Amino acid sequence: MSDRKDEILDGLYDHAIEGEAEPVVALTNEGLELGMEPTAILFYALIPAMEEVGRLFEEGTYFVPEMMVAAKAMQGAMHILQPLIAASGIEPVGRFVMGTVKGDIHDIGKNLCDIMLEGVGFEVIDLGVNVAPEAFVEALREHQPHALGMSAFLTTTMGMFKVNIELIGQAGLRDVALIYVGGAPVTQEYCKQVGADGYAPNASALVRDLKARMGISSAEGGKQERKE
Amino acid sequence: MNARERFEAVVNHRDPDRVPVDLGRHVGSLHRLSYARLAEKLSDPDLKNHDKILDRMVQNVFPDEKLLRKFNVDFRWLVPNWVGVHEVEGEDAYRDMWGIKWTHMLDSYSVVDSPLKDVAIDDLDGYAWPDPYDSEMFSGLREQAKHWYENTDFVIVADSIKGGLLTKALQIRGYEPFFSDLAQDVSYAEALLDKLLWLYKEMWSQYLKEVGPYVQMVYFTDDIGAQNSMMISPDIFRTLLKPRLKELIDHIKGQADVKFMYHTDGSVVPVIGDIIEMGVDILNPIQTSALGMDTYAMKEAYGDRLCFHGAIDVQQMLPFSTPEEVRYDVAKRIYDLGRGGGYILSPCHNIGSDVSPENILALFDAAQELGRYPLQLDTVLKPVDLNPVIAPPEEKPVAKKRPRRRP
Repeated sequence: MSDRKDEILDGLYDHAIEGEAEPVVALTNEGLELGMEPTAILFYALIPAMEEVGRLFEEGTYFVPEMMVAAKAMQGAMHILQPLIAASGIEPVGRFVMGTVKGDIHDIGKNLCDIMLEGVGFEVIDLGVNVAPEAFVEALREHQPHALGMSAFLTTTMGMFKVNIELIGQAGLRDVALIYVGGAPVTQEYCKQVGADGYAPNASALVRDLKARMGISSAEGGKQERKE
Repeated sequence: MNARERFEAVVNHRDPDRVPVDLGRHVGSLHRLSYARLAEKLSDPDLKNHDKILDRMVQNVFPDEKLLRKFNVDFRWLVPNWVGVHEVEGEDAYRDMWGIKWTHMLDSYSVVDSPLKDVAIDDLDGYAWPDPYDSEMFSGLREQAKHWYENTDFVIVADSIKGGLLTKALQIRGYEPFFSDLAQDVSYAEALLDKLLWLYKEMWSQYLKEVGPYVQMVYFTDDIGAQNSMMISPDIFRTLLKPRLKELIDHIKGQADVKFMYHTDGSVVPVIGDIIEMGVDILNPIQTSALGMDTYAMKEAYGDRLCFHGAIDVQQMLPFSTPEEVRYDVAKRIYDLGRGGGYILSPCHNIGSDVSPENILALFDAAQELGRYPLQLDTVLKPVDLNPVIAPPEEKPVAKKRPRRRP
């Protein structure tokens, strides 16, 4: 690989961590013009960058503002890369349906999860905020995702998890997808109580847990090892 | 001791006769649904104010004076009038005096439109800001304050002008845009915070001209904490917010002889020292369900310089506990925070529609039963809570160098 291509990957990694959207987009475009594979840009620069951002958040160096601009920068590159990756026939590693429950419009945490999931190769179908229970059921039926994520920010709205999961059960769709719950007041204990499959306190924890359960930690890791 | 003497003892870190109790402010009252259920439980046909909404956004009520007396509440709150509110036609929604749009969701109102989301820094001055000299905002409050001052011995408090510096900036600019400003466009963040600071200073001047001689405490609400960490980094708090908050506190204390109570939800342990340096006398609400908000450890570390208000959790504890567990939690908070005064007991936020009347009664009954000084909680608390082990502070390098190279 030419020096410039290496510089591009290094630059993408650094600028994505710093949340600098413009150079991330510019370097992505330059890399593609130089004939770099979209998946190489993703696996060798952007995914490691997002993993580092997640680590910085979890260790308490990064907070919501820094994580958010990093995710936005990543998203800018993803908008360019995703269509190319899809067109080349590479299947997403999984499908994820996401939404904030009825009565709740908080979406910062949910949106961060979306970007992190897309970043590691998931197709994300985001139903938005204030999502009716029936809409979760319908999305499960239509998209047959590997996982469903529900977000709630308030103790008064997290009761919707149970309502939604019961309705999903009644529709005979409980075994279609792993069901994750998250949001400020949610705990592992509460997750169990409402009959969900998983809880994650933040976006990178969600990605880590989901990849482990689906046994998909090796794909991009293997490519990185080859690179090194 | 009467209520004002009790408050005086507590804020000067002396034992009062009992732990003071608070309820009835805009982030510390009862949701109208839980209020209605409580009224039904008390089967008191005279309990009024079911429809007297204190804060439209959260749908809580001004509790009836009768209830405040039943619970031995020591504080009475002056609440600024909502001015400049515009209903949004055809929706259950309104724009507040800042131009922020709120829509009804389930049992409260949430921000759905932030008017500065696309406004450039140079156009900030031209925005239709609220008029800080609108006399309607504080009308009637002087008479109320004077009445309480002369005819009762309650502690009189000036409730916050709704919203704080960071909270208001996030609401008016939009959460994602303002978080981006903080991370990358500091000049915008500073310009907006300066504008808000100026407005709050002018508003507080008007407010204190009306009620200054009668109030013993003022309240300022902001949120800098999230569930598992601060919402923003301690660095950003120290550089962008702390100096402005200190300026506001100095401004307020220069005009009235008051104690200053600062509100932030969430996990804020890393900056409690900074909060004291800003001139805060009382920290509220001590959200014990947020990470690291260990009441015993906070009292040990800061109790000689800071008073604590709240600590009765409405997120996990009150909705999901039995009345016996509520009583135990009250005992624990009094034990942790009340040694040598310095603690005012109160729900840490509004008592939501998910809290049972039994738990509300258990809370205020326990405050009366267990809050007597000298504190005698040895027979109530388990040994583990009588001699808690304080976790050593996490060793964290200040600016840990992260790998600058791709792995």
